[in-house]
Parts: sequence; structure tokens; C-alpha cells
Amino acid sequence: MSQAKVFQASTGLKVTVAVFLLFWLVVAAFPLFWVLVMSFKLPVDAFSASPLAVITGPETLAEKGGISILDMLLGAVAFYLVYQAVSHWTRGVAERVGFGFTPIGWILGSLIMGAAGLFVFVIILPIVTGAVNWAFGLIPGLSLLAQPVIGITLDHYIAVWFENEFYRNFLNSMTVTAGVVLISLTVGTLAGYGLARTPSSLAFWLLIMALIFRALPHSVLVTGYLPPFINSREILEPFLGDAAPTLYGQPLAVIVVLVSINQPFTIWMLRSFFQNIPAELDEAARVDGCGHFEAFWRVIMPVMWPGVITTGLFSFLLAYNDYLVTALLLDAQNQTMVPAITQYFNRETTTTDQVEAVAAAVSITAPLFLLVMVFQRQIVSGLTAGAVKG
Amino acid sequence: MAEIKLANITKRWGSFVGVQSFDLTIEDKEFLVLLGPSGCGKTTTMRMIAGLEDPTEGEIHIGDRVVNDLDPKDRDVAMVFQSYGLYPNMDVYENIRFPLKVRKVEGDHDAMVRRAAEMVELTEFLHRKPAALSGGQRQRVALARAIVRQPQVFLMDEPLSNLDAKLRVSTRAQLKNLSHELQVTTIYVTHDQIEAMTLADRVVVMEKGIVQQVGTPTEIYDNPANTFVASFIGSPAMNLMEGQIEGGVFRCDHVEIGGLDTAHSGPAILGFRAEDAAVAPDGAGQITAPIYSLELLGDAVMVTVRTGGALVAVKADKDYRANIGDPVSFSVPASICHLFDQGSGERLAR
Repeated sequence: MSQAKVFQASTGLKVTVAVFLLFWLVVAAFPLFWVLVMSFKLPVDAFSASPLAVITGPETLAEKGGISILDMLLGAVAFYLVYQAVSHWTRGVAERVGFGFTPIGWILGSLIMGAAGLFVFVIILPIVTGAVNWAFGLIPGLSLLAQPVIGITLDHYIAVWFENEFYRNFLNSMTVTAGVVLISLTVGTLAGYGLARTPSSLAFWLLIMALIFRALPHSVLVTGYLPPFINSREILEPFLGDAAPTLYGQPLAVIVVLVSINQPFTIWMLRSFFQNIPAELDEAARVDGCGHFEAFWRVIMPVMWPGVITTGLFSFLLAYNDYLVTALLLDAQNQTMVPAITQYFNRETTTTDQVEAVAAAVSITAPLFLLVMVFQRQIVSGLTAGAVKG
Repeated sequence: MAEIKLANITKRWGSFVGVQSFDLTIEDKEFLVLLGPSGCGKTTTMRMIAGLEDPTEGEIHIGDRVVNDLDPKDRDVAMVFQSYGLYPNMDVYENIRFPLKVRKVEGDHDAMVRRAAEMVELTEFLHRKPAALSGGQRQRVALARAIVRQPQVFLMDEPLSNLDAKLRVSTRAQLKNLSHELQVTTIYVTHDQIEAMTLADRVVVMEKGIVQQVGTPTEIYDNPANTFVASFIGSPAMNLMEGQIEGGVFRCDHVEIGGLDTAHSGPAILGFRAEDAAVAPDGAGQITAPIYSLELLGDAVMVTVRTGGALVAVKADKDYRANIGDPVSFSVPASICHLFDQGSGERLAR
């Protein structure tokens, strides 16, 4: 790139920047990488004293087989292709399958892209690598490339998802997260729009109140909710009779608590997005023939999607990553994924349990990667639109 | 097509008065301009007619309906906003079509959109997003969106103020032509007196929420009702001098204008327009003073002198040359003078 000399960084600065970035990368990314590697190894390798053994997994290779250099190359290519496809085509898919309704389009679009990605990795990739390995194995000089060199086993994932029924925790997580995002965004957009447009001074006090609730420690809210949740049967019996439910242990009930924690933040954030949209747009729409709500829906919301998606993502992360609320309000049978990991750590923890916990941790991270891949453009445009950042 | 009647409308926010007792009938097909400095209540008046603000008092009639309690969408008006108010997610075609679509107007939308786009010369940009248009093009999209539906009333809120000077002149001409073609009652808000003079059938001059004068551009220019209107209309503004009248003679520093047709005596303000007066040869004029400044305008030379506290300018022939400080004499006959009361600024009766 041709750049004026005065704007070019000095060599010393470049080196400092590079060293700092490298340091940050190691600190931030190394644990993730290590966890990912460990989760595919037998405990003997995973807890080996030699780091090289953890990476190559000789015991795993001997006992369970592994992948060749070709497999790794093909895997990397597949990952790159899927990443490109997801980040480029999701919008198009979302527009096509949404029946003209943007949020449904995005949800269906993400699901379709996720399923397609899974299909590529689970079905297509093994077939292709199998064929390529076989072909290279026939060529005398290159057969070494087709030899398994790194031990890999999926045992822990199978144990986690099927034997330990982690899919139930996954479903609970999805229920809670979907509920929190849906309610937070619905209430948040309506309230944020109202608060951004109202001339009333009451809006100021509402926002201050929201700020105070936002400032409360989560444990305070949970402590407040816990007793009525446990006793909800007795409390609700006069009104609902025998149908009165015990709210404790119900994922659906946890949604309420998480929404109450999350809502002040979404209202503030969405309000600031709405304030960036000139009021002239509403007025133009109203003179052009829209009612109040129609102006909001047909004119303002289409401009608001980056803001809604960004706020939705923060809500998603809050609900998905929550430990405190879900751990306290759900019993062991109905846990979401994050608190469920702790089940693996107790006094009788074996090394197998620990590697399974690691595999569960990787399983929790995977959907987040997909989410960020799908929405990266929207997130960036939302964040740069001058919003309050979480 | 409709007559608009504003019956004594007032807008107050707490103790602040935005518009005070505005009373006016705007005739069918009339082009009315609301003119005044910023904060004078002209935009508020328009927004009350559009339904975007509620009047504190008074009634607004459009046609034979009282529209005070109607939503903007039910008033059958179209509005062009100062910063256009285009829908950024829709292309030009969808923007223009929006009022038809929302109101479920019967008929061939495509033909209507294309006709409106043709009137404002936008046909080749129909499939661009507003972000990819220049300021003048955006302005024309806003216009097309207003005319596509043929409403009873057009409201235009400083539509030209975001355009550069050259574009403003050509768009102004286009607007004048368009309003002639469409024959729809139009209310136009501006702070630019040239726009008001060129476009209006009638001009309403406002200041601090109060109507100062209503009249045709000529009336307002030739017979300003008070010193505010006199100084607001015209470029340069009318010369205003404070002095004393006695026996039909106005006097202040360097000034003596006789033969004034007035019974008034005592303090007064005398005004005249720069282009009505002339430089008199040999000190024979009514104002004689050293030259304060000399500005070459191309088609004329503006000669300014200082009398008392005020600067008085006169347009001289374009070949006139003199040095600053040289004595000069202006001929200001009584026939071009306007007299105003010194306290209230109101025009003095003859």
C-alpha cells in the first residue's frame, strides 16, 4: 500500500505492536486451542506431562486411530469454505426463506446454514478424506501423507451428548436463550422507540430506574426470586387451583428472571439506536398515510435491524452464558449447558470426567462461533452505528 | 384542492409562545409562503396544519372539515421535509410509491410513480437508494413522493435550504413551474426572502410567533407594515434612520428631508430602499456625509454613509467611483420615504 511517509509507523513501533498482538493472541486464544485439542484425546494423552504428547496423542493414535496430514489440510479447506459461505450467503438465504418477514428469515437462514455446515463436516468431509487418503495411499512416495499421524477420538463427545444426555441441557439452553432474546427484543424495541420519541419527562425517570436495576448484582435479583419460585405452588393455588405450578426448576420460569436482568440494558441500547434515526422519518411516514404503529413497523424497523441484531446478540450471550441464575433456579435434571458442566467436577472426578467436561465446554462454544460468523457484518455495522456498547 | 382556514390558532409550550393567534384563510390553489427568521413560529404553524403538532387553541379547517382531531394521515396533505425524510432502506421507486402503497390507492401505481418521477426528472434514478443520490436529487425524490398522490394540500418545510446556492435557484424555478402545473393549495415555509418573493401568491411575514404582515410580494416590498418587515424584506435591507419630524421635515445628523406628507411631529423612523435613491451631483441631495464604504456589485456600486448611528446605503451607477472619506450627497425625495413610529415600529398613517 502506498502511504505518505509521515503516516508510516516506525520499525520500533511495528515490532512493539506485533509483539503485543502476539502476546494477546497467546493469552486469549491458547486456552481455547488447548481445550479443543484435549477434548479429542484419551485421558492418558490429555493429561500427559509432555505438551507434544497432548497435541499428537500417541496413545490415542495407537488405540483409537487418528487423522493424516491430508485430513488436516482438507479440514482446513472445508472450514474456510464453510466460513466464507456462511458469512456471504446467509443474508441471501435469509431474504429468500423469510416470507418477506426479516426476523423469521434470519432465524431460518441461520438454522439452514448451520445444518448445511454440519452436513459438510459430518457427511461430506469424511467421504472426501476417505477417498483422498485411499488414493494417496496407493502412490508409493506420497502414502506417508495419508498415514494417520495425530491421535483423535470422538469418544468423549459421544459420551457427553448421548450417555450423559447433554442434548437435554442443550435444549434447555435453547429454550431459555430463545425466550430471553424474544421477550427482551420485543419489549426492548417497543420501549426503546417510545422512550426515544416521547417528549415526556417521565421517560428520563424510567431510564434512570432502568439504570439502577441494571446496576444491581444479579445475585440480589435471584435471591429475591428464589423463595417465591420454591413456594409458587402455595402462592398460586388460590388462583389456579390444582394447576398451580412449581416454578423452581422450570426453564420457562428462568426466562422471566433473565429478562428482568437483561431488559434495562436492551432498553437503553435500543433507545440509543432509535435516537440515531431522525424523527423526520416517522413524521414523513405519518403524513404519507401510516398510523403510529405502522410508521414504526414499516419505516423505522427496517432501518433498525443492525441495532436489533446487535442487541439481540448481547441478550443471547447473557442468557446463553448465564451461570448464576440458571444454577440457582434450576434443579440438576433440568440444567442448561453452562451449569451442567459443573456436574463433572466433584469429589470422585476421574480424568475421564475431566476430559468429558472439556468436550462439553467445546460443545458450548461451537454455536457461538456459528452465531458470530452469521452475524458478523450486522454486528460490526451495529457497533459502529454509535450505540451504547455492552 | 381545498381552502384552508386557520381560526385563531395558538401554540404554547408551558409559558413559551410558539404561535400567537394566527388567523388566516388560504384560498384554494393559492401558493402561500410563511416567511420569518428562525424561531418565528412558521414551521410550527405548518406542523400544526400537517397534524404533527396540536394547536393549544383555535381551529384548523381543510376544505369543509375541522381537522384538529384528525391524524396526519387522514388530513389528505403531503409534506416535503427540510432534510427530505426519505426512507433509506427503499430505492427511489419504492420511496415515491410508499404513500400509494400505504393508503392502498386504487389504480396503476407503476404509471403514477413514473409520471411523478418524470415531472421532477428522476426517471433514470428510479432504482437507486437515497444514499446514492445528490442533495438536489434527494430533494426531487421528496417532491415526487409528495405529488404522486395528488393531495389536497402541499406543505413544504424549507425544502431548498439544504441545497447549494446554484441548485437552489434552478430548483426554485422548477418548483414554481410545478406549482403552476399542479394547481394545488401550497404552504411553503422559508427564511429566505427571495424564495418568498419569487414563489408566493401571498406572503405571511412572522416574528416571535406573531404575524407581522400578510400580503402579495409587491405589497410587502412596497408597503411594509412595520420596521421588522421593512428590514427583513429586500436585499440590501431598507435603510432606517431615527430622527425628528417637524412640519413635514425629517431631520437627523447629515439628513434633512422635506415635503413629507404627514401630520406627525416628534421622533420617528424614516426608511427608504437603496435602489430608489440616487447619488446627487454637487451636494444637492437630502443626505450629505463622508463615504463610509464603497462596494462594487457588478451591476451597481453600493455607496454607504454613516448618519447618526445607522449605516445608509444607496445604489449608484455602476461606473461611479470615489474614495472612502470623500463627501457624497444622496437624493432622497419624499415620495420614496416610509415613515414608522419610533416606539412601536408601526407604519405611520399619512
